[in-house]
Amino acid sequence: MNDRIPVLVLGLGNVVCTDDGAGIAAIHKLIREYDLPEGVLAVDGGTLGLSLLPLVDSADQVILVDAVSAEGPPGTLVRIEGDDVAPAVYERLSPHQIGVADLLAGASLLDRYPDRVVILGVVPDSIDLGTERTPPVEASIPELVERVVQELTSLGYPPVRSENHDEANDSYAHLARTLGV
Amino acid sequence: MTHIVVDPVTRIEGHLRIEAEVDGGKVANAWSSSTMFRGIEIILQGRDPRDAWAFTQRICGVCTTVHAIASIRAVEDAIGAKPPPNARLLRNLIIAAQCIQDHVIHFYHLHALDWVDIVSALEADPKATSDLAMSISDWGKSSATYFKGIQDRVKSLVERGQLGPFANAYWGHPAYKLPPEANLMAVAHYLEALDWQREFIKMHAILGGKNPHLQSFLVGGMATPVDPNHQASLNIHTIAQFKKLIAGAQEFVSKVYIPDLLAVASFYKDWAGIGAGTGNYMVFGEYPLSDEADPEKFLPSGIIRNRDLSKVEDFDPSKITEAIKHSWYEYDGGDDQTLHPSQGQTKPTYTGPEPPYERLNTDGKYSWLKSPRYDGVPMEVGPLARMLVAYARGHEQVKGLVDAVLGKLEVGPAALFSTLGRVAARGIETKILVDKIGDFTDELAANMGKGELRIHDNSKWEPASWPKDSMGAGFHEAPRGSLSHWVHVKDGKIARYQCVVPSTWNAGPRDEGETPGPYEAALLGTPIANPEQPIEILRTVHSFDPCMACGVHVVDTGGREVTRVKVR
Repeated sequence: MNDRIPVLVLGLGNVVCTDDGAGIAAIHKLIREYDLPEGVLAVDGGTLGLSLLPLVDSADQVILVDAVSAEGPPGTLVRIEGDDVAPAVYERLSPHQIGVADLLAGASLLDRYPDRVVILGVVPDSIDLGTERTPPVEASIPELVERVVQELTSLGYPPVRSENHDEANDSYAHLARTLGV
Repeated sequence: MTHIVVDPVTRIEGHLRIEAEVDGGKVANAWSSSTMFRGIEIILQGRDPRDAWAFTQRICGVCTTVHAIASIRAVEDAIGAKPPPNARLLRNLIIAAQCIQDHVIHFYHLHALDWVDIVSALEADPKATSDLAMSISDWGKSSATYFKGIQDRVKSLVERGQLGPFANAYWGHPAYKLPPEANLMAVAHYLEALDWQREFIKMHAILGGKNPHLQSFLVGGMATPVDPNHQASLNIHTIAQFKKLIAGAQEFVSKVYIPDLLAVASFYKDWAGIGAGTGNYMVFGEYPLSDEADPEKFLPSGIIRNRDLSKVEDFDPSKITEAIKHSWYEYDGGDDQTLHPSQGQTKPTYTGPEPPYERLNTDGKYSWLKSPRYDGVPMEVGPLARMLVAYARGHEQVKGLVDAVLGKLEVGPAALFSTLGRVAARGIETKILVDKIGDFTDELAANMGKGELRIHDNSKWEPASWPKDSMGAGFHEAPRGSLSHWVHVKDGKIARYQCVVPSTWNAGPRDEGETPGPYEAALLGTPIANPEQPIEILRTVHSFDPCMACGVHVVDTGGREVTRVKVR
């Protein structure tokens, strides 16, 4: 478990808070519809904070897939990279004080910050209670997944669309079906 | 009279707002408000009860396991499923590992910065720090060179303006009492604890199928196969891995956490007289030691009233009620009605001010939390309650350790009823658990040895085997305290679901009789040196380890990290 993870794709958000679960919906769709090449690990990180540190600080490159408050109407896709990542997660007034910011800060304090962190996100409409995403956000999830695929491809790890999804090899299959993501 | 608003309280999970009136340098009145609605109960209605845990697990990002445990216990109680011994042991392992990790993170990463001044650490003499560290523990990392390296790392963070989690605190506040060397030692251990917890929580990765959310829960047992000779199961290698992780935890807790706790506490003994609160304590009990209907538990259940350690009442679940007079909910029977959770209702009706607002109307409804009561009175739950009930019931290990800590600090048992008592109890519980968790591992190994490999009771899996209409309750001692889930299963579906969570017990508002909740009571009399920087309020509130469990976290590209403290 101390092996390096060349590329970590980490879905973040809460599936019981409508659009906040967009990143989780996207990660499960990615796992379901694509064969990920060796070296890529896709994980449903939920709203876990420091428990994700062993993953993040073992990863060379990290793609965070998340709901992002930004300019633009709900469903707008956003890409944040490099120097903009830290402010995006640090400089926020979030109820989730011990979430992503502390996760990345923890990796940084331990001198194990990944070489590269990219956030691929979607602008939410609502983060109220609910297990379904709002229509504009739900409609943009296929494209969000597409962006993740493009990002992986540009890193030299092109996913391949899987023709026959093998549920026996997908430890998330039952969970994803239960949660409706 | 000065009115203070702390919103949000930082370094907690979820959204908590404290309003307080300060008179003559002390808190004269306080109100605790959760400003975010948590309504998982509504989402669960009509679902398959066997799926409930997967949703309740997502209530909160910090304590994912705890809502899963309470949920499967509640559903098992309702449908009559009986998990086999291995399932009990696996759950005990998961629960204890969660509690140990959570307490260490709380002490070092959520609470320490209320007592430890990072900026002062920059002035410490590394040699003197090394002498201090060696005088309190034989932990290996204690050379002057080591502390110099830590100091340089923090210095460079400060110079680059990248304080991260160290930003946004009241550095230099006169309430910080540690000498620079103790501050530097604590900062070093902050970093070591971060690294240690990431190792230790591999316990969960092993138990939970490698995914960060444990997926091995199952109504009627667990889904993790146990087989000594099978590679994809929990096997003899797993047991060896557990033992190694547990040995590491014992060393860290004994040589770092407990000595740090004692060292820090010795500078803040005045806090043994501050922050007591209600003086009533409730514990459901945890770590069942056998598979009978009402098993003995390693940490016993019980009720203590009015700080009287000479009497412990037995816990009676029928005495729990929830009031909503000051909560943004309505009951069919009106605002003065109180309801048992099995009859609970979750009907949100927000009547508070339109945000952003200056003040809450604390005469009316002012929180999204209900006010749980036991036999009509507020109860504090959590590590302090657990250690007090165990102490009063004569639990050998707890009694020994509590007395040792009190002796070291040269204070009497009355010091336990305080902010400092809460901090100490959490450390004591961690030590008790790192010493106990190995027993669960040994029992699991012994079961493997004698061919007892069952992990699940299949007999109640199919809904056809369930009663047509049944109620169940699941009780769990989460790191933060007593958690209960209440489920009504009808025709194979969830007809009603209620969660009464630890932070609702502790952080809830006044009840229908205007009696304050535990946070509100604990803040009374707290000295406030500077109303602009009410670090004293944070100390007491953080000592409860708040977790408001909303789990929402939208990244804001235009926002700023600010805690608004409004003073008038």
